[in-house]
Amino acid sequence: MLIVKDLSIERLDKKIFENINLSLSPGNITILKGKNGSGKTTLLKAILNLLEPSFGSIYWKGKLLKKNLYDFYNHVTYIGDTTSSLRKLTIKDNINIWKKFFISNINDAQIEIALKTLKLDNYLNKKVGTLSFGETKKLEFLRLIMENKKVWILDEPLSNLDEDSIGLMKQTFEDHCSKEGSIIFSSHQNPGIYVTEEINL
Amino acid sequence: MNFLNKIIFFYYREYKLNMSGIQDILTNIIFFFISIFIFIFSIGPDKETISLIGVGILWTLLLLSSTLSLRKFYQDDFENGNLLIIHLNGFSFGFISILKTFSHFLFVQVPFLLSIPIACILLNIANDKLFYLFASFSIGSLILSCLGSISSSMNLMNQRNFLLGSVIVMIFSVPVIIFSVGIINMEESFNSLINILFGILLIVFAINPWASGLCLKLSLENS
Amino acid sequence: MKFLVNPSKFNEMADYLFRPLLILSIILFAIGLLFSFYLSPDDYQQGSTVRIMYVHVPSAWLALLTYAIMTIYSILALAFRIPFGFIFNTAVAPIGAVFTLICIISGSLWGKPMWGTWWVWDARLTSVAILFIIYLIIIFMNLSFENRIVREKVVAIFILIGSVNLPIVKFSVDWWNTLHQPATISKLSKPSIDPSMMTPLIIMTFAFIMIGVAIAILRIKTEIISRKSYLS
Repeated sequence: MLIVKDLSIERLDKKIFENINLSLSPGNITILKGKNGSGKTTLLKAILNLLEPSFGSIYWKGKLLKKNLYDFYNHVTYIGDTTSSLRKLTIKDNINIWKKFFISNINDAQIEIALKTLKLDNYLNKKVGTLSFGETKKLEFLRLIMENKKVWILDEPLSNLDEDSIGLMKQTFEDHCSKEGSIIFSSHQNPGIYVTEEINL
Repeated sequence: MNFLNKIIFFYYREYKLNMSGIQDILTNIIFFFISIFIFIFSIGPDKETISLIGVGILWTLLLLSSTLSLRKFYQDDFENGNLLIIHLNGFSFGFISILKTFSHFLFVQVPFLLSIPIACILLNIANDKLFYLFASFSIGSLILSCLGSISSSMNLMNQRNFLLGSVIVMIFSVPVIIFSVGIINMEESFNSLINILFGILLIVFAINPWASGLCLKLSLENS
Repeated sequence: MKFLVNPSKFNEMADYLFRPLLILSIILFAIGLLFSFYLSPDDYQQGSTVRIMYVHVPSAWLALLTYAIMTIYSILALAFRIPFGFIFNTAVAPIGAVFTLICIISGSLWGKPMWGTWWVWDARLTSVAILFIIYLIIIFMNLSFENRIVREKVVAIFILIGSVNLPIVKFSVDWWNTLHQPATISKLSKPSIDPSMMTPLIIMTFAFIMIGVAIAILRIKTEIISRKSYLS
């Protein structure tokens, strides 16, 4: 579905990376490995068409990504390194807002189960600003379930998580793959998640 | 239909956000009234003088206090990544800036609009001028919102000197001030002046999605 | 004409042009100042103060011209992706600001004996003051952004939006009935100025243009060198 061909990106006066090739088909997990500052986030941004690549091209469903942009956006969930939950509101409000905004057909029981597995069900009426960093990070993953899209693009999803949560993520990834979904995520190390392709930046 | 729903819930989200921080909006209004007090203290409580320059003071202070909250226009959504999420849900950057402009108008400028009658009492402005004031401010504040959108999107990546954003808004709002104070002081030419204001609004409204959209995209690219 | 958009071609051309330009501008300044101080007549109304015109008018023209060229280069840079436009904008904005400042100061020196005040709130004067503030904002923006890519594009957008001020400056004397006199020299009609005053004015204008271009060449060259590694 998603094919990245000979992608190179230059910012200001330095080359960030060169000749990246990547192809993502249903059921695939791709990991981007690299040190800090090796351009993992930059590559993800280029895939999301936020950055103009210096050379090379990206294709989505056989067409150039630029020509097919909003169809691509309809199939993609992006989780960045920032916490996108609104800090002034409670978890419940956040969930309501996202649920309506994404027009997801997920029901309350499913959200409750998800919250319970993430161990966030006790904080439902707490403001997001009072949660710890790891907990806001976990709350972020609720969006994956709510948006219910095919392609997940995750920037450093495993940092700041404890052992249990990493195990949970592993399970979620496998579930998603078995449902013909595909995942690209960046990480500086792989804690034993099964991946079909590994790209070293 | 999906798209319309998304727009509705975009505003629902803005409403929730602004209501949770309603003290910010109220602080703007308090700033507005305090500066009216200070103005009156500094020129003396002479009724004649105040009613002579009242309209000018009112407009100046409205402009100044509405530029106070400019920093929040895009900054929060930009920093926590919501801008990107909204964009990925099918809104182009230009469209986001239009939606945000209306949201700024609703949640920042309309409270000022509602507090104008009280300010009129304080500044001794005649009742029959209230209609002209309302008409000019409702158009003028939309222009200010558009300008605010442009300048705050320009200064998203400018961490050092945000005051520049307010300066940009103020320098481009000079014609707005000229024509809207002109409306109130020269009631016989109301129609022509309000048409000029309307024309300015349309121009700014056309520039806004292009300029702010480009700046938002630039900042997201390079953040 | 490629040297107007290509940095390396511009460098070659600048090496040829800089010295002749500098010499020419010095000669023109000498002749122009000689003309404007000794060889031109006094005005029958304004007396000797009319000589301020030979600094005031060229600097005002050049302030507008600089901004107009910056606008053109912003369009080129944004629409046709010519990075030389960004270089030009960064380099030339202070020159425009200085011309505007010269225009304002000399105008106010002229205004004191003629109108009786240093400053009046007249449409022409206000719009030129706004032009000066716009130049200042451009300079400050150039200084206060950390990321260069964002900075140069945002400044170009700002220049484009700020260009609405140009026609206001130009036509303010025609649109509003103001204290400032309307333009004496225009293309469409015969100039309402005596040839004996016209000569020094034109010589001074060319001298100002030459010195402006010479300084601009210097500044653009430094700007090109400062980002050389990016371009090559």
